[in-house]
Amino acid sequence: MSIFEFEFMRRAFIVGFILALIVPCIGTIIVLKRLSMIGDALSHASLAGVAAGLILSINPVLGAAFACILAAFGIEAIRKKIPKFSEMSIAIIMSAGIGLAGVLSGFVKNTANFNSFLFGSIVAISDFEMYFVAGISLLVLLSFIVLYRELCYTAFDELSARLSGVPVKTVNSIFTVLTAVTVSVAARTVGALIVSSMMVVPVACSMQIGKSYRQTVLYSVMFAVIFTLSGLFISYYAGLKPGGTIVLTGVLCLLLIIIIKKAAGRTVRQ
Amino acid sequence: MKNRLTILFLLLYLSLICTGCAIGKKEPAGDGKLSVCTSFYAMYDFASKIGGDKINILNMVPAGTEPHDWEPSASDIANLEKADIFIYNGIGMESWTDKVLSSLENKKLTAVQASSGISLLGGTDKGDPHIWLSPEKAKREMENIKNALSAKDPGNKNFYEENYKKYSAEFDALDGEFCSKLSPLPKKDIVVAHQAFGYLCADYGLNQIPIEGLSADSEPNPAKMAEIISIAKQKKIKVIFFEELVSPKVSETIAKAASAETKVLNPLEGLTDEQEAKGEDYFSLMRENLSMLEEALS
Repeated sequence: MSIFEFEFMRRAFIVGFILALIVPCIGTIIVLKRLSMIGDALSHASLAGVAAGLILSINPVLGAAFACILAAFGIEAIRKKIPKFSEMSIAIIMSAGIGLAGVLSGFVKNTANFNSFLFGSIVAISDFEMYFVAGISLLVLLSFIVLYRELCYTAFDELSARLSGVPVKTVNSIFTVLTAVTVSVAARTVGALIVSSMMVVPVACSMQIGKSYRQTVLYSVMFAVIFTLSGLFISYYAGLKPGGTIVLTGVLCLLLIIIIKKAAGRTVRQ
Repeated sequence: MKNRLTILFLLLYLSLICTGCAIGKKEPAGDGKLSVCTSFYAMYDFASKIGGDKINILNMVPAGTEPHDWEPSASDIANLEKADIFIYNGIGMESWTDKVLSSLENKKLTAVQASSGISLLGGTDKGDPHIWLSPEKAKREMENIKNALSAKDPGNKNFYEENYKKYSAEFDALDGEFCSKLSPLPKKDIVVAHQAFGYLCADYGLNQIPIEGLSADSEPNPAKMAEIISIAKQKKIKVIFFEELVSPKVSETIAKAASAETKVLNPLEGLTDEQEAKGEDYFSLMRENLSMLEEALS
């Protein structure tokens, strides 16, 4: 049977492609801000949101998005307080998220429900989730294009960005919300593993060859698309788990790039 | 000054730990009754049907939790330290038992593997653990539990034997119902969330097509999903079964592709809170499973 005969595979390719377009855009800025682990931290914080949502009987997906936004602002706030150790803010929020989720889950009446909100797989995506992801992605892409210059400045050097008239605070806030919403929606749809790795691995690859900010963003999107699509193909034909396959394809590619670059550097020197 | 502060801090910390321990102790009443711990729901139900009000029973995996990925907490271990009997299914269902049992100091504890002496599907050791889903084998498990209770508490032997007699008749009746209702049905294939129904299928000539392997919760691989969709279409399967304690997303995706519907087939590994409140038990849930199967296979 051919791979595209199945609706769920077509859907995996569509959603995978959309996310491969937007997640590395966010990822490039995240990496420049030294916040590579933010995807993990936010997806853990969203667990607490799901639990709180179930307890207060509000929609858990909304709860997750809300918790993610709070956590992302928490990370921003701590990062500003301790600018030299910005990665610490992620560790703090991540452990707070896990801790809160652990405590709150004790009050959730129906744990079965809890599980079903945590679980996301790229090969099991519902109609609602697909449209939701598409909508959010459009929003992220538009904001990214409109704020392209401002985001670039802020990511590299907040101080000189402010001096050259960029409204750093507003830009940061918008970016924080976008990141939080993307992670909370995407992690629930395709799984936290894919989201948090797609934020960093393609960016790492493109930083090896990109010569400017613009190139780095474009290459990282290109890499993410290649990883996702080839990962899906491989997992289908080799009978592997899709999430892990996509991530490992990316890591393998990064390794190859580093080795090739080193070898090329050596030949040039000789 | 600094030293005094450290000491104060340590004292505070110690007192916190102590209160923590005190909260963890849910002391079973010292009324001379046998104190029994069971690993998950099916074991709990069987043991409480035999023991009735002659035992104090505590189920370790709480309602609404998937037992495959559960691990005991400190207070669970504390309960085991005070128990007389620990009943578990075995065959890898409770992967934590070996480690936990060897670390206990409780000398009087008898650990009872309810599945011992029952012939298994697929070899002896690493086989399919879900034997309680066959009424006939579940009866054997209950018998093992009865024997263990009688040996530990000979004073109530007759009581345990009476209960066993009563419920073994119920198991036989259930077995009869499954046989008579399922054997005339034309279809024999069921698609299930995880490979839990091997013994049930073997007993009644059915064939399970599991989406996942022996343990319940993990990401499926797309090739497997495609294969199951093709089989389901080809065999005109009407129902894709899922479990209440596992996310239904994958089952729903498959059902949609094969234009089937999703229904619950309960592996009795744990109850939800609603089921517990309604007073469901092994027999009522197995009958519910039977009616789901009838609908799917007719």
